Amino acid sequence: MKKLVFNSDLCTGCRACELACSFINEGLFSPSKSRIRVVKFDREGVDVPTGCEHCENAPCEMVCPVKAIYRDEDTWAMILDPDICIGCKRCMIACPFGAIGFDEERKVFFKCDLCRGDPECVKWCFTKAVDYTDELHVDHMKQVKRARKEAAAKSRARGL
Amino acid sequence: MEKMYAYAGKTLKVDLTRGKVHSERLDKTLARRFLGGRGLNGKLLFDMVGPEVDPLSPDNVLLVASGPINGLLGLTTGRLDVTALSPLTGIFGNSNAGTNLAPELKYAGYDNIIITGRSEKPVYLLIEDDHVELVDASDLWGRGIFETTDILKERHDDVKVGAVGPAAENQVLYGSIIFDYWDAAGRAGMGTVMASKNLKAIAVSGTGSLEVADPGRYYEAIQDAWLALMNDLGFKTQEHSVLGTAVCVGWGNAQGWLPTRNFRESYFEDADKISGEEFRDRFSTKEAPIPAGRACMSCPNRCKRYGIIRTGKYAGTRGNIEYESIAAFGSKCGVSDFDAVFHANMIANDYGMDAVSCGNMIATFMELMEVGLIDREHVDGLDLRFGNADAMVEAIHRIARREGRLGELGGLGSYLATRAISDEATYYTSNVKGMDSIACDPRGAKGFGFAYAVASRGSDHLRAHPVFEMIKLPPEVGKELFGNEEAVNLRKYGGKAEMIAWHEELGAITDSIGSCRFMHASYYAQYPVPEILHRVFNMKGEVHSIKYHEWISAATGWDISYEELLNIGKRIINVERAFNLRRGIRRKDDTLPERFFRDKVPKGPAKGEVFSRKMFKKLLDRYYELRGWDLKTGLIKKETLQQLELDDVLEILEKEGLVV
Repeated sequence: MKKLVFNSDLCTGCRACELACSFINEGLFSPSKSRIRVVKFDREGVDVPTGCEHCENAPCEMVCPVKAIYRDEDTWAMILDPDICIGCKRCMIACPFGAIGFDEERKVFFKCDLCRGDPECVKWCFTKAVDYTDELHVDHMKQVKRARKEAAAKSRARGL
Repeated sequence: MEKMYAYAGKTLKVDLTRGKVHSERLDKTLARRFLGGRGLNGKLLFDMVGPEVDPLSPDNVLLVASGPINGLLGLTTGRLDVTALSPLTGIFGNSNAGTNLAPELKYAGYDNIIITGRSEKPVYLLIEDDHVELVDASDLWGRGIFETTDILKERHDDVKVGAVGPAAENQVLYGSIIFDYWDAAGRAGMGTVMASKNLKAIAVSGTGSLEVADPGRYYEAIQDAWLALMNDLGFKTQEHSVLGTAVCVGWGNAQGWLPTRNFRESYFEDADKISGEEFRDRFSTKEAPIPAGRACMSCPNRCKRYGIIRTGKYAGTRGNIEYESIAAFGSKCGVSDFDAVFHANMIANDYGMDAVSCGNMIATFMELMEVGLIDREHVDGLDLRFGNADAMVEAIHRIARREGRLGELGGLGSYLATRAISDEATYYTSNVKGMDSIACDPRGAKGFGFAYAVASRGSDHLRAHPVFEMIKLPPEVGKELFGNEEAVNLRKYGGKAEMIAWHEELGAITDSIGSCRFMHASYYAQYPVPEILHRVFNMKGEVHSIKYHEWISAATGWDISYEELLNIGKRIINVERAFNLRRGIRRKDDTLPERFFRDKVPKGPAKGEVFSRKMFKKLLDRYYELRGWDLKTGLIKKETLQQLELDDVLEILEKEGLVV
């Protein structure tokens, strides 16, 4: 299964993902209506993209009293159905990533649904700081990256 | 009420004297004729500031404007324009910053801010959507940019901040406005105007939305522009996106236009010690193979280089650095210690003053010391020799604080300071119309040089930005666009008047819609250049180009052709010219510093080059013809203003006898 992954090492803070998201989902350009967000730390020179992780044991799904949040079996996305949602805000409070948004004008909640398996944000991310990729691949790359660091440290220690 | 697409639709008016703010609808006719940003601000400045106004009086205005395509996902659309009568030059002044405040202002609901008068006590302007307030800033006055920005971000939940620092408060004439720590509206003393109004900062947060007229067509246009950039040869080599603008240190040195020791030379023997590669290897904080720089809103070019000094006496200094500031404190001052150059830039940044003017000022002092036109007394005993990094850093502190004679003189900028010293001394400042030259030697790059002479805010590359002559384009492109193959040649004069005029017109558009110079010139992914290249090289496949006319039309719902865009560009340039004419600018002022006509480049790739006086005159004549200006005086011809539908401008100029 594919996963949406965020990598702050690669993020330039351009926020194209925010605008692509709000445009595809709402037809508007508006960071406040985006499902994805880049938090900018300008003084530190760091930008951190953040959004829904589509957790395996999703707190939003567990706390929803009316089952407005459910798993899409095709894309494995956690979907929020605004027609069922009663606006109790429990999911918003439970989500550790702040990934549930509230549309003040329409009084409904919204969240990332992976654009039905073809996330628009990824298409606009030039550096792949936001990527939609195979979970196993993510895992494998982590191992390789970590191992690479260890190897480099070892060769340094041996004076190579 | 008719909806305005792409624009936020409102203008915010701030009267600091009365402490009142109110918003009104954006003038649609004005927007249609001048688009936004620099164009809109230029016309407002012409309308609001007469020839009698003193730049630091409450009668000057401070104009801040975004453009119609800010915040709409188009690539490189994160630019904001700030315009006022410049205290440094006494003529048209503006500066453009790449900042998140530009789109944020639109999300808050405003396209532009018109700031008038002067507040009795220091205030800052807080904009949170509909909630707009002037807040007491007594506790912020005197604080540096970094601290001020920290405090405001903490106090108002991560707002976007544009602030002035102690340099502007102390009336250093080239004070900047710095956005979110590093992004400067650096030039022409816009910060000094802001501080003279007792306005310490502008803080903005917005949660609103922007709509475009034809979403399908618009999305296609910006995707095409994106593809155009990805297919561009220059972008593919990744120079700017890997090294940022600092790539120009090596580039300029290899081509013989890196100003060295106050423009005496155009080749710096130690350039590799202050290069973009050196910055990447020593200071960069990103470890990825392609260092992910930092970017303005929706910009894949990500040219901002962030770094930190890890060891030595300046350990802990951090921030963004650009080519201009490296050259200003590096090669221009003969300093090859990159730690000191980086540190110098960051303290100038924290004081809130223009690195270009500040570096030029110090370099001028250094040369004047060397040729014996000033002695140590003028600079309070400081040993300002070329290459003395410690003295340079100390001089920055004293200038920003206006300490002693050095601080008094240094705050005036190199033109006014040398005038105050002696007639002879003025030879040693590189400026046009009082504005310090940026880091490109006119003798090494003729088009750039000529552009300095005619730029509306004085010696400046950002009106034209004719990188065209630097990137080794095929001569056919020069022939096709400007009627002369020499237009692509750095050291030749042919076709340069046409080349500069075209670049200025497109540049005026770029500045007015909220886009960046990188897209207008640097990559040449801009219509019609990719089309011509495609033809010249017999390339297969589809051509992608950045078509601003298509882009703006789809966004606003107006039907604007490429030709009309150029016409709007001409209109913008002529309004700025008209403003300057009212302040006494004539043909005699459209010139280069004498040194570039007289002194041969002593060494390096451009060895032996001067700017030919004869060719300059020819270029200027041709340029005036293209602009529809009078060859003798430099005044605008009546029919030019009529053609551009600038009847209100014509009326005023006619009354003052300024039309031919």
